[in-house]
Amino acid sequence: MSNLAILPIIIPMLAGIIVAFTNKNVALTRVLTQVFAVISLLVAAFVTYTVFTDGSIILETGDWKAPYGIILVADELSILLILTTNIIAAATAFYAPHSLTLKQETHYYYTFFFLLITGVSGAFLTGDLFNLFVFFEVLLMASYALIVLGGEKIQLRESIKYVLINLFSSMLFVTAVALLYGVLGTINMAQIAQRVAEVEQRGILTTIGILLFFVFGTKAALFPLYYWLPRPYIVPNPVVSALFGALLTKVGIYSILRVFTLIFVHKIEITHEAFIWIAGLSMIFGVIGALSTNNIKLIIAYNIIPAIGFIIMGIGIFNQEALSGSIYYLVHDMIIKCALFLLVGVIAYVAGTSDLRKMHGLIHHYPVLGWLLFISAFILAGIPPFSGFIGKLALLRGALSSEEIAITIIALLSSLLILYSVMKIFIRGFWGEKDETIEYKEKASLGLVLPIVFLLGFSVFLGIGAEFVYPAVDGIAEYLLDPQIYIDSVLKE
Amino acid sequence: MEYIILILAGILFATAIYNILQKQLLRIIIGTVLLSHGAHLVILTMGKLKRGQPPILDDSVITYTDPLPQALILTSIVISFGITSLLLVLAYRTAKENNTDNMEEMRGEANE
Amino acid sequence: MIFAVLIPLICALFVPLLSRFKQKVHTGIFVVFIPLGIFLYFLRFIGNDFSPVLQTYSWIPSLHINFDFYLDGLSLLFVLLISGIGTLVVFYSIFYLHISEKLGHFYVYLLMFMSAMLGVVLSDNVFVLYTFWELTSISSFLLIGYWHHRERSRYGAQKSMLITVFGGLSMLGGLVFLSVITGTTSIRSMIDQVDIIMSNEYLPLILVFILIGAFTKSAQFPFHIWLPDAMEAPTPVSAYLHSATMVKAGIYLVARFSPIFALYEWFFIIVSLIGITTLVWASFMAVRQTDLKGILAFSTVSQLGMIMAMLGFGTEAAVFAAVFHILNHATFKGSLFMIAGIIDHETGTRDIRKLGGLLTFMPMSATLALFGTFSMAGVPLPFLNGFYSKELFFKSTTLLNENSNSFAVFLSDAIPYLAVFGSIFTFVYSMYLFFGVFTGPKKLDLLPKKPHEAPIGMLLSPIVLVLGVIIIGLFPNLVNGSLLTHAANAINQAAGYESVSYWHGFEAPFIMSLVVVGLGIILFLTMKRWTRIYNVIPGKLSFNKVYNRLISSIDVISNRITNSYMTGSLKLYMSIILAVIIVFSFVIMFTTGGFNNISFNDLAEISVVDVSVVLIMVLAAICTIFVNNKLALIIITGIVGFGISILFVIFRAPDLALTQLVVETVSMALFLLAYYHLPELQRRNETIGDTLTNLFLALGTGTLITMVGIAAHSSDWFNTISDYFVETSYKLGGGSNIVNVILVDMRGLDTLFEIAVLGIAALAIYGLIKVRNKKEAE
Repeated sequence: MSNLAILPIIIPMLAGIIVAFTNKNVALTRVLTQVFAVISLLVAAFVTYTVFTDGSIILETGDWKAPYGIILVADELSILLILTTNIIAAATAFYAPHSLTLKQETHYYYTFFFLLITGVSGAFLTGDLFNLFVFFEVLLMASYALIVLGGEKIQLRESIKYVLINLFSSMLFVTAVALLYGVLGTINMAQIAQRVAEVEQRGILTTIGILLFFVFGTKAALFPLYYWLPRPYIVPNPVVSALFGALLTKVGIYSILRVFTLIFVHKIEITHEAFIWIAGLSMIFGVIGALSTNNIKLIIAYNIIPAIGFIIMGIGIFNQEALSGSIYYLVHDMIIKCALFLLVGVIAYVAGTSDLRKMHGLIHHYPVLGWLLFISAFILAGIPPFSGFIGKLALLRGALSSEEIAITIIALLSSLLILYSVMKIFIRGFWGEKDETIEYKEKASLGLVLPIVFLLGFSVFLGIGAEFVYPAVDGIAEYLLDPQIYIDSVLKE
Repeated sequence: MEYIILILAGILFATAIYNILQKQLLRIIIGTVLLSHGAHLVILTMGKLKRGQPPILDDSVITYTDPLPQALILTSIVISFGITSLLLVLAYRTAKENNTDNMEEMRGEANE
Repeated sequence: MIFAVLIPLICALFVPLLSRFKQKVHTGIFVVFIPLGIFLYFLRFIGNDFSPVLQTYSWIPSLHINFDFYLDGLSLLFVLLISGIGTLVVFYSIFYLHISEKLGHFYVYLLMFMSAMLGVVLSDNVFVLYTFWELTSISSFLLIGYWHHRERSRYGAQKSMLITVFGGLSMLGGLVFLSVITGTTSIRSMIDQVDIIMSNEYLPLILVFILIGAFTKSAQFPFHIWLPDAMEAPTPVSAYLHSATMVKAGIYLVARFSPIFALYEWFFIIVSLIGITTLVWASFMAVRQTDLKGILAFSTVSQLGMIMAMLGFGTEAAVFAAVFHILNHATFKGSLFMIAGIIDHETGTRDIRKLGGLLTFMPMSATLALFGTFSMAGVPLPFLNGFYSKELFFKSTTLLNENSNSFAVFLSDAIPYLAVFGSIFTFVYSMYLFFGVFTGPKKLDLLPKKPHEAPIGMLLSPIVLVLGVIIIGLFPNLVNGSLLTHAANAINQAAGYESVSYWHGFEAPFIMSLVVVGLGIILFLTMKRWTRIYNVIPGKLSFNKVYNRLISSIDVISNRITNSYMTGSLKLYMSIILAVIIVFSFVIMFTTGGFNNISFNDLAEISVVDVSVVLIMVLAAICTIFVNNKLALIIITGIVGFGISILFVIFRAPDLALTQLVVETVSMALFLLAYYHLPELQRRNETIGDTLTNLFLALGTGTLITMVGIAAHSSDWFNTISDYFVETSYKLGGGSNIVNVILVDMRGLDTLFEIAVLGIAALAIYGLIKVRNKKEAE
């Protein structure tokens, strides 16, 4: 049974290899991609069900017992995120053929796509710090490949910055893992947690922890490490932007969540207190960025940063409600970011520009897109009864029960500005006089719109149907607050 | 000895960073290469140096050098190699497309 | 009750379907039955023996968010207003909106609003209340932007959304805080725990949070600026949302939370101060308006201020007067809005400067307007309900509670004068509104259309409302015991049955009324002479300007801030990231004593060979910075790489040495290939500042790594897991090269995905090169 844990990694990997071989036959590749994406989603759903009914699945790969071999840990947190990842993957798999050029498709888009999913799933599942590095590299390498896909001038220019910054943080990551090994003599996360607890995070350990935080923070695009993010995210095809926006930064934030609830939890007055400040600054500078531009894709890209701020805020506050808020917000944000990137992709496509100043009255031609954007804006800003609200509510309750007033006010204000930044697109781009002179492209095809509807459906469900999800998330938060459960489940002593 | 190697690693990091902060692509890439060298040295040192024989089992040997860092470095070397190769091709293509190898000339407009 | 709340929302789903038949049947005809049904349903609760009803439906129990619908006197009053006025407004809209308009959209938004508003006043659960609260903002936004091809509509819609959502979020903060303190999400349970709330140190903050929500929604000073711009909405909407119901949500909120804050002196100070300021300022500003709906908008703002002020007083008399005025205001203001709509509809303009002498053309409308405006002005006639509530208001200003705070005492003394001052202007604009439109010279040539009386269907709704004005005027105690007392009671438990009568005797309120009428008439007659004062007050200073400045500066400032660091410069990005890492890490290292216990025991011996290799590498590494020839640079880098292989040999890592050698060689080849295509290196022409920054960052990072490394090496607390690998390598792994066994067996997963990385890199490189070939072929 424990082999179930590796399925979310293996299926996309095999799929990626298979579609690499069918590359010449685009029609077949597309079908295969969609079939595999659905299979992977179903499997993920099944594994999720198993984990939530029977408890964490621990897989000791190669039968090398913990802490010596590489351990895969499918606990409720990682499997929830894997399920979300697969929902996103399925949506983009159906969107991709309508959005990509034939050239991009035959340049192994689908292979890179599946390997990206592999890397992301692996990063969520692994219980080994060095293995986490390896999965990071898988997903980063796939992302490098995706971002240059097509090889346009701007794309190349932005990708090289993206690659360089990530390369730097990867090297820092591997160094930090080594340093941790030097102190603790192990790279198994459960054992690291156990040993750090044993010496009460003495001496150099907090510093190494903070180095790891910066590594993950760079990937997660936290203040003040996010500079690399917005522009590289808007140069590739919208479907790639959607995958990046939904998954890449979230892997970073997941790693922070894992490491700073499991391992470095003995000096929270230093580390986690700093996170709250970082969260506040991420929100402020993120929304300022989102408000600063008229490029609709860039507006969405900047909106990644305050969202990350919300999530890190919960980790910083570090009580059960705030943590469950963070997790809920994380799941919510993965879905809505993907939907929004796909959506502005379609909007920019039909309008023929991503410059808001050149758009107006689109709603006369594309009412469906307009209303999808309208709803998305409210979901994103955390207006009830949608998914963002549930996470935000739990976060605010957590913050106020720890009497964190400043961050509460910042969070509330940035919600308003997030709403404004996206609603601006609706008011300026969609409202207005019908423009007969502009030649519009064909109606946004169903293939582009349905995946977005599918994702927004989930967002709405996560809001209105929160009762089906929140108790589970709350359970995860409780579980995260007691690292011993994780340690015991892996080390079995 | 460990501390000497750590200082060397520190110097490699420093020169790497200095190069990365330059404008020309080739220098930047050289910087990343130095960076990975530094990182590998740190890994190696963390397993302590010269504490026994190479980690190849032999009945006459009692103590071996820590094999785990070596395995980690191997993985890391290969990955770094992959990235460096990609980076080189990317750099070459970028320089061709943008007609410059100066990163400061590749800033782009604020609102594209 | 859940059905009553949700039915409009559910019906809204079918409206688009019905609007297909709009050529045959006006969509509004279907819709009008919805509020009518709800009105009739709730009508049966009216009665002297009314007792509150509670119904609970669970929604998200794990977050304590449930549909707890609680119908008490206050809710009942609002529910009846919402559904009653709703019926009239929908009926009116059937004649107001032509079938060529987007009726489907209009009624969907309107029904959405109806649900939301009912939800706000019926929810006992604070978060459900907040949900509906935001829904009212959203539907209001959509309705204001109904004619979104107009620039003004878009402006007004955005403004109303920003201000009301801002308030909503602030209120959310307060509600969350209250729920955290009391451990409940039910307003009733919070009221039970008023002691806990009163003793909380954050009480002022909670109060401000919640009041901002109420003040923005109810357009209180200085947040009132959105309401005049909301008049871009179709007139039925203005009558409904922006006069009778939605803007009273803030009033409702203050009333609802009054029992919690009643004992808190600052509640009195803030609410009555803001209320009375709003009353004075808005009535003063109303006189300046030229748009009929503009006058009515400011008039609404000032009336809301008056109600707010009374809630702030919090005394039994004031609370009763507030409740009474909520009802009265809905009747006369609703009818006036509809008349304004009729005038707009029949003459084509709402500009009072172009209107005049319409009495002969529109006698019915004029009669209705007469009752509406005179009631609003508080003219002491026994058949105008406005007079009674104004009288009660004056009375309540003279009967304020004793206060200890000196500012509160001052305020209590000033309030009666301010009330009279505001009421004088109310009188003036009411008269101006009526006489300016219906009497005086006719200006037919200025009108886009030839004026004539509206169809009877359109007049029916205002007639009903004016009848309400008159009936309440004639029988002021009609719904007093059956409805108003219950409502007042919900706000202040001490409030009991108050008998309202026309003649109180020659007391302060009566004198105040006389002053208002007397001075009002004088000011109205001399209006032309003193309106120049508006050039001085507010002159160019207005909160609208502040808002506009704020909005445009958001764009500009955010752009300036963002562009100052988002320059697209890799060097800048890297510098910031590095600086943060260095500073933070060092601070953490020294505060947590990370570098305190450095031991020089347990180190490997140093040999001459080692040191010379290291020295060569150091030299080579430093050279990379200074070399300006690309071939030399590549070779020097190669020296470092080969030096690493030698170190690997020295440190007994044969596999590593071999791999490094191979990789280094292949890399060299790659570099040389790329060398061919990359331009020659230039001299580093940096400024001293640049060099110093780079140097600082480089040395900082290097030192950090070295120091952390040394500290990590010195912390020798645990045995490494590697011993296990040595033990089991052969036994379980079947290989004697331990590193190999680790790679392919124990950590096989790493290796698998390391290969995956290489695979992706290969495909990506292939793609990059192929694209190039194609491009060059073109």
